[in-house]
Amino acid sequence: MKRLLLLSTTLGLSLAFAADLSSSIESPNASKIIAKDLLGPAKVFTMPAGCITDDKDAIARGDFIFHNLNGKKAKGKLPPGLAKKQKVPGKTYGPQDKIPAKQYGNCVACHNIEGAKGGGNIGPDLTSYHDFFIKTGVRNNQYVYQKIADARVDNADTHMTINLTTGLFTEREICDITSYIVSIKK
Amino acid sequence: MIGKKIILASTLIGVLAFGGEQFAMSDSDRAMYAEMLENNPADIMVESGNEYMEEFAGGDEGLAKFLGVSEDDLPAYIAGFPRYIKKLDMVVGLDQVLQALMAENGHKPFKLKSKDMFAMSAYAKSIANEEKINIDVNANPQMKAAYAMGDEVFNTKRGGRGLSCMSCHSPDVIGGILRTQPLPDLGSEANKAAATWPAYRMTKSSLRTLPRRFQGCMNNALLAVIPLGSPEMVALEVYVTDKAKGREIAIPGLKR
Ligand code: HEC
Ligand code: HEC
Repeated sequence: MKRLLLLSTTLGLSLAFAADLSSSIESPNASKIIAKDLLGPAKVFTMPAGCITDDKDAIARGDFIFHNLNGKKAKGKLPPGLAKKQKVPGKTYGPQDKIPAKQYGNCVACHNIEGAKGGGNIGPDLTSYHDFFIKTGVRNNQYVYQKIADARVDNADTHMTINLTTGLFTEREICDITSYIVSIKK
Repeated sequence: MIGKKIILASTLIGVLAFGGEQFAMSDSDRAMYAEMLENNPADIMVESGNEYMEEFAGGDEGLAKFLGVSEDDLPAYIAGFPRYIKKLDMVVGLDQVLQALMAENGHKPFKLKSKDMFAMSAYAKSIANEEKINIDVNANPQMKAAYAMGDEVFNTKRGGRGLSCMSCHSPDVIGGILRTQPLPDLGSEANKAAATWPAYRMTKSSLRTLPRRFQGCMNNALLAVIPLGSPEMVALEVYVTDKAKGREIAIPGLKR
């Protein structure tokens, strides 16, 4: 009887010890972080009216978004209508509030295009896009718009970034980027 | 002169077996890389990791005892991490084992993201240098579940740009160029990520672990960064480690 008790307390002790050991290990749960970060289903978008334009400021914004990663890393003068920081619409900001850097497209990481510095080759070369794809009728503006907004519509496993479904850009910004790609470059 | 440059470059590519590196490096970078390969700045950090092991964890002997293996079997056993450890009832990385071991020795464990833990776990993994990675993702239901979870985490598109690890590390894009960087095949002999991390990262001037490297990619690609030690992160380590199964461990690695 006495021995049994002793045994069970030893056992209890060592069990408590094991639990204690695991609790000294960092093992936070990440499932919520991932769940919040998931992507909605593939979505079809239609270009809004007046989307494609030859307005030079719009094209300059598209150009800038294409070639830069974010407002923190971006160098040089910003085109009119583009900010380096991203305020949440409707939120008021005090002087102490830190406003995060605005994200741009960094499209050049995967695509070559006129004037690209260190352009990648994961995605197709977009050089002379107007001549090769638009003028020939191989592609149209709506196709390009959809590709940038959500490329999963015609390729579920695409390696292309998803830019409108994710809310990274606004409709207008997708229009600016599209206008830049289909424009005739000097 | 030109001849010499070409010889230097091709020797290096031979050493690195990383064709395309020339995209990323200037000649002076390359010279520095060659110098560092011989004299890895992380060697000294690994040495301090060794000292921490002695001071807080009973050295190699303490680790072997904790894991229930002989000191002779310790290298091969370490080459199989992450593992399901019964007394912790979890699939854990080597760094988490060290946390438990520190606690058992009456010390406050280093944080997983601390420099000291990076050094200590680099040392612990270097015990397995020259062993081949022998992770067994079918060893038990816990490892099977971790592998499946890792597969899912690797392949799930998420974040601001809707990317997954697969977007940049799938067989059909490997070797492609992402803004001057060749996309590495994580399992190949040339990169064998799981066999070469912890590594000294030249662009960060510091010693970092494999899960810390994952966080770098998450951060760059705008995926929400998941914490070190989370079951999801350990699962990702299981999944990526399995890609380099059979490759020889060489710690500390040296990365761009
Ligand atoms: C991580 C790599 C990657 C990034 C970053 C990327 N793309 Fe792509 N892109 C691709 C790939 C791969 C394709 C091939 C088609 C597919 O899979 O949908 C593609 C296709 C395209 C096409 C269709 C071309 C055609 O006519 O078939 C356009 C237009 C395009 N991308 C524009 C952009 C823009 C604009 C951005 C930035 C906002 C961008 N891409 C960022 C990889 C990328
Ligand atoms: C947008 C593209 C992109 C995404 C998404 C991405 N990576 Fe990477 N990854 C890279 C590039 C480019 C490198 C090489 C960078 C360098 O050499 O500095 C790299 C390097 C790595 C390395 C180091 C390889 C070595 O040589 O040891 C690991 C490990 C890694 N990635 C894992 C991951 C994991 C896990 C994920 C998902 C959580 C991920 N990556 C997502 C582009 C990406």
